[in-house]
Amino acid sequence: MWRRTLSVLALLVLWQIVSLFMKPTILPSPIAVFAQLGQNLTQPETYSQLGVTMFRVVVGMIAGVAVGMIIGLTMGLTKIGEDLLDTWVLVLFTIPALVYGILCILWFGLNDTAAIVAIAVGSAPPIAINIWQGTKAIDRDLIHMGKAFRFGKATVLLKIVVPQLIPYILAALRYGLGIAWKIVTIVELIGLSSGVGYMLSYWFGNFSMIQVLAWTLLFTITLLIIEFAILKPLENRLTRWRPAAQIQRGAA
Amino acid sequence: MIMTESYLSIDHLHKEFPRRGDRPLNVLGDLDVHVEEGALLSILGPSGCGKSTLLNIINGLDDATTGEVRLAGRKVSTRTRSDVKIGVVFQQPRLLAWRTVRNNVALPLQEMGLPKDEIDDRVRRYLALVGLAEFADYYPLQLSGGMQQRVSLARGLAIEPDLLLADEPFSALDEFSARRLRQEFVRIWAETGKTILFVTHNIREAVFLSSRLLVITDRPARTYLDLPVTVPHPRKPEDDLLFELEKSVTEDFMRMEEQVRLEKEMTR
Repeated sequence: MWRRTLSVLALLVLWQIVSLFMKPTILPSPIAVFAQLGQNLTQPETYSQLGVTMFRVVVGMIAGVAVGMIIGLTMGLTKIGEDLLDTWVLVLFTIPALVYGILCILWFGLNDTAAIVAIAVGSAPPIAINIWQGTKAIDRDLIHMGKAFRFGKATVLLKIVVPQLIPYILAALRYGLGIAWKIVTIVELIGLSSGVGYMLSYWFGNFSMIQVLAWTLLFTITLLIIEFAILKPLENRLTRWRPAAQIQRGAA
Repeated sequence: MIMTESYLSIDHLHKEFPRRGDRPLNVLGDLDVHVEEGALLSILGPSGCGKSTLLNIINGLDDATTGEVRLAGRKVSTRTRSDVKIGVVFQQPRLLAWRTVRNNVALPLQEMGLPKDEIDDRVRRYLALVGLAEFADYYPLQLSGGMQQRVSLARGLAIEPDLLLADEPFSALDEFSARRLRQEFVRIWAETGKTILFVTHNIREAVFLSSRLLVITDRPARTYLDLPVTVPHPRKPEDDLLFELEKSVTEDFMRMEEQVRLEKEMTR
């Protein structure tokens, strides 16, 4: 943990040093940016803008994860599914997030639906690919064991297949979340009048470097909180059966 | 005289696996076996001779190409799996690494819909039986290979099967653990009187355990030898009679291998 802290501190020091040689309109000092962020946090509007973005990301992600998992499992567990879907998933995966943003705004108008659909469509393919790859690593002998003991289909899926996919599901969640944040800012930036992306666009329009950085920082901190407060503990809990993971946790 | 049907009857069982661009792989060739209820039948054969395939067909996980398997009077296939309770112990432990030892043994019992008290009770009893009572809360990867295999044995026994299919369950263990487990295994069999099919390639093990011993040939598998082992239980592994039997079965086994080798040369 101290290594992580050290690397963050090093970056802040570097930023501070570089900012000494720059005009504040080009690169304000980290102290000024944090002060601005602190001031922003006293205003209720900041929370409502962040909340709007979070809402879009969470709803879009839920849809994206559900669709991505179903597609990934279908591709991984059935030959027909793989043959029918793999080209499409790869094509959808290579389309830039910006394109989904533009298309959804044109189709659904300037509203939440556009953002949510764009996130869902953009995050589903990478999630599907992760799960699909995960199914390749499934231990078929364990499935055979389940069948030999006459487990029902649902039990085999939920208690033998899915647990083996958990590392892949977590990786997919992280990756999907990263993509979702990128898409939501793009959609908010080009079309919507609320959310973090809109605020970035607004302060960009006002040439306020310090606010652009303060909002970016808010965004980054939110992501870190999600990672360390939700994803990491979840991962530790779900993989505590691994001897290696236990040693790591014991040392941390 | 009326012929009573055997508990497990295997008639003209033939199984082949199609291979792309090649002749089908002939695994079982016209196998005939009749097993009486309560037998501990060892099936002894060279590695890769289709013993596991035979167990799969009996358990309704695979279909015969021709011939049939009847268990307790009913034909078995993948669509009509027998309602006889079948327990399985594999060569590898095949435990679910993310579940504790306790939950691994409990899972098949939960699937059977047993009440919770009964499940707890059985898990405790069968883990104690294999000597792992104090390891119930460990995860499989924290245990040695031998201990994992004992968990697997406990899982197979805990469902209290009418028919136990054991596929070389002790072959990956060190000799001392294997020896102790074999003795426990025979004791459980003698106590419960259930039917056991025990696949192995270890002649001494087969002789020590079984009430009847079946030697099958290399692919395609056919019965080469079928002999009762009448030495009464409990047996001592060092029993002279067992040694004699082991010697004669070994000789038969070698003769069979030689015969196969000659046949192969003839057809070449």
